[in-house]
Amino acid sequence: MIAFKYTRTDGAEYLSHLDLMRHIMRTLRRAGIELKKSEGYHAHPRLYLNSPAPVGVQSLAEYGTADTDFEGDFEKLFNEYSPQGIKCLACRRVAANPNYANCLTACSYTATGLAPFDPALVLGEESIPVTDLRGRQTDIRPKIYSLEFKGDCLCFTLGTGNNNLRADLFCTYLAERFGGRATKILKTASWGEGVF
Amino acid sequence: MTIDMSKLDDILKRVEKPARYTGGEYGTQAKADAPFYFCMAFPDLYEVGMSNLGTKIVAESFRRRGYSADFCFAPYKDFGEEIRKAGIPLYSLGLKKPLAEFDMIGFSLQYEMCYTNMLYMLDLAGIPLYRRDRQNGRYPLIVVGGPCAVNPEPVADFVDIVFIGDGESADADVAAIYLECGGATEEFYRRICALDGVYVPAMTQVKYGEDGRICGFEGITHVKKAIVSDLDSAPFPSSQPVPNVQSVFDRSIIEVMRGCYRGCRFCQAGFIYRPVRQRSVQTLTSQACALISSTGYEEVSLNSLSTGDYPRLKELIHSLKAALPKDVTLALPSLRVDSFDGDFAQDARRISLTFAPEAGTQRLRDVINKDITEDEIINAAASAFDMGYSAVKLYFMMGLPTETDEDLKGIRRICDLIKGVYNREKRSKALRISVSVSTFVPKPFTPFQWEGQISAVQSAHRQEALKKLLFIRGVSLSMSDYDTAVLEAVLARGDRKLARVIELAYRKGCILDGWLDDFNASTWREAFEECGIDMADYTRERAEDEILPWDFIDTGVTKQFLLRERHAAYDGKVSGSCLKKCNGCGLMKVCPAAGGEHDSL
Repeated sequence: MIAFKYTRTDGAEYLSHLDLMRHIMRTLRRAGIELKKSEGYHAHPRLYLNSPAPVGVQSLAEYGTADTDFEGDFEKLFNEYSPQGIKCLACRRVAANPNYANCLTACSYTATGLAPFDPALVLGEESIPVTDLRGRQTDIRPKIYSLEFKGDCLCFTLGTGNNNLRADLFCTYLAERFGGRATKILKTASWGEGVF
Repeated sequence: MTIDMSKLDDILKRVEKPARYTGGEYGTQAKADAPFYFCMAFPDLYEVGMSNLGTKIVAESFRRRGYSADFCFAPYKDFGEEIRKAGIPLYSLGLKKPLAEFDMIGFSLQYEMCYTNMLYMLDLAGIPLYRRDRQNGRYPLIVVGGPCAVNPEPVADFVDIVFIGDGESADADVAAIYLECGGATEEFYRRICALDGVYVPAMTQVKYGEDGRICGFEGITHVKKAIVSDLDSAPFPSSQPVPNVQSVFDRSIIEVMRGCYRGCRFCQAGFIYRPVRQRSVQTLTSQACALISSTGYEEVSLNSLSTGDYPRLKELIHSLKAALPKDVTLALPSLRVDSFDGDFAQDARRISLTFAPEAGTQRLRDVINKDITEDEIINAAASAFDMGYSAVKLYFMMGLPTETDEDLKGIRRICDLIKGVYNREKRSKALRISVSVSTFVPKPFTPFQWEGQISAVQSAHRQEALKKLLFIRGVSLSMSDYDTAVLEAVLARGDRKLARVIELAYRKGCILDGWLDDFNASTWREAFEECGIDMADYTRERAEDEILPWDFIDTGVTKQFLLRERHAAYDGKVSGSCLKKCNGCGLMKVCPAAGGEHDSL
């Protein structure tokens, strides 16, 4: 198996998760990297990606696992045959699937365009109730791990996996509370077991 | 100038399926530095346009001459409104170049319901809709092609050039002459009019009599269709852009044949793509291999109007299976029931198979020259069931000439017979039959081009009857929308008077009319009323001696032949396939089948 870290930039951030999956599968087919198939009635290639990032959020830290015996230069071939914005940054051979959809616990982001505010106003709150996309009341405070400004750029780390908070919704909350509007949200790092 | 995509970021975050508008598709090949810039515009959504092979062939013919060929599709309403508000002009996906900066914009007219989309795209690009308003030379040439171009009259006032017939050579020839003449000069138009397949609407005037009907043409009164004689060596893209968003047909497509031997009398494609030309097994195999390796698709579709009629189909399938990677599946989307054979079994998932009997009784199938028997339909279904299929889709038409209630009952009879051959004891799944009934639309250049279309009252009566007849277990029925069929009929056999109606309908908000959710029949009706045009005047039966709006266009199939076929239809006589005997459609001199192609096989 090969675990790989890849980008979702230059327009690829607008792909839906299923389309992204198809693009990576086709990249591997063009590159001649054969994926092993599941053994069910409708066999499908065994490719595992981390949890979907929201459409429009760029990323330099997506992770995936390809079940393959391929022994050549994965990174070079992947980048030669991948579409714009989906580029492999690093890869390594692994004995078992790290299951990035499960093992990632937090992601760090940067965002520009939000009005300046004192992060302590957010971090000092005990709870921050908001209404999520399905109309449910939820407390997002436990999902915010860090928040600071570096110049005009807001840097923050949010929970993912079981403690997930969408970066775009968090920015919408900040914009509503403090003004401005996040124009570019970029995932800069993912945290958890098996990252590299 | 190129569009600064960062300005679109906000908009892209708000619209549905934003990857339709970002470009960057793998395999895109738009050259940034070229003597001529062509934009292939498809007047429907990205997912539909990206599935179309014809536009890719045309783009390839431009590229082979060293020109730049880019793509653009009609944006969905949300994105269209947003860029209009933001003052961003419609742009091409490869170079991100505003459409107005191209030398030529080619619209592929695949169906009549996309006419307003063409205006929508021109409008979003900031290009005046009417040709007369673009006379100062600052705008690109607006050209159209595709099947609807055989009667381009409803859109004639909007366009500069119409390409009729095969798009492999004429389109790029025109670009070469444009460069030689230094633009769209008088000499340019004079020279391109001499080419086969080129129609310049400004050079042909339509004369109307006192009764409001066409009484003649002036200026250039004869335009011949372009025909590529050797399909094997014709341009074909060995690499194609892989769509960002899953398209309607998300697979590699090779074109096995162009044209159809059968001559079903309702089918426009069966007449306008004549004569039948084939590609060789060797060419098709190498094209399929090149596409699979350059795109990464896992399926190859063998397209043509009737793939089962390709004489070396078994040889082709064996050759493809030997040459392609093991896991690549083959799809044969257009198999007639009489050519269905276990060997041609599609190796994709065996779920549903589609047959098109088109009419319920043998009498009516003879009228339309469908030339298949009830036994053939039932046997095809039975062998499909033996191969493991548990669902069939059946396509029928309603409103065909001479149709009676008996013919509708025949549809029920076919369903019953198919149910009868499905052996329930042998399988666990219940049989599913999906019956799809569309309304017959008379089309130009078919033997039925003179026929009237059924009225709303007749349609409602027949749809009711079908609902009652097919209210049975295991059968689902879907029927086409009558309003859509009427508009299609009006536009298909329309004349230049309709330009005003199309423009008005567009101004009133009619776009994406081919999508039932977006189709607004009442607004279209308003547009007709305000222009003082009666739709019934277009859906009526035409007299055989009447001058038809498309009469100056010569597809090579003679009017005498079409009339002969029409009379044979009323006599219930089947003409049969060109493979059995030549029926003398007019293209004998250039038709490989008439020249004895099959005798030598």
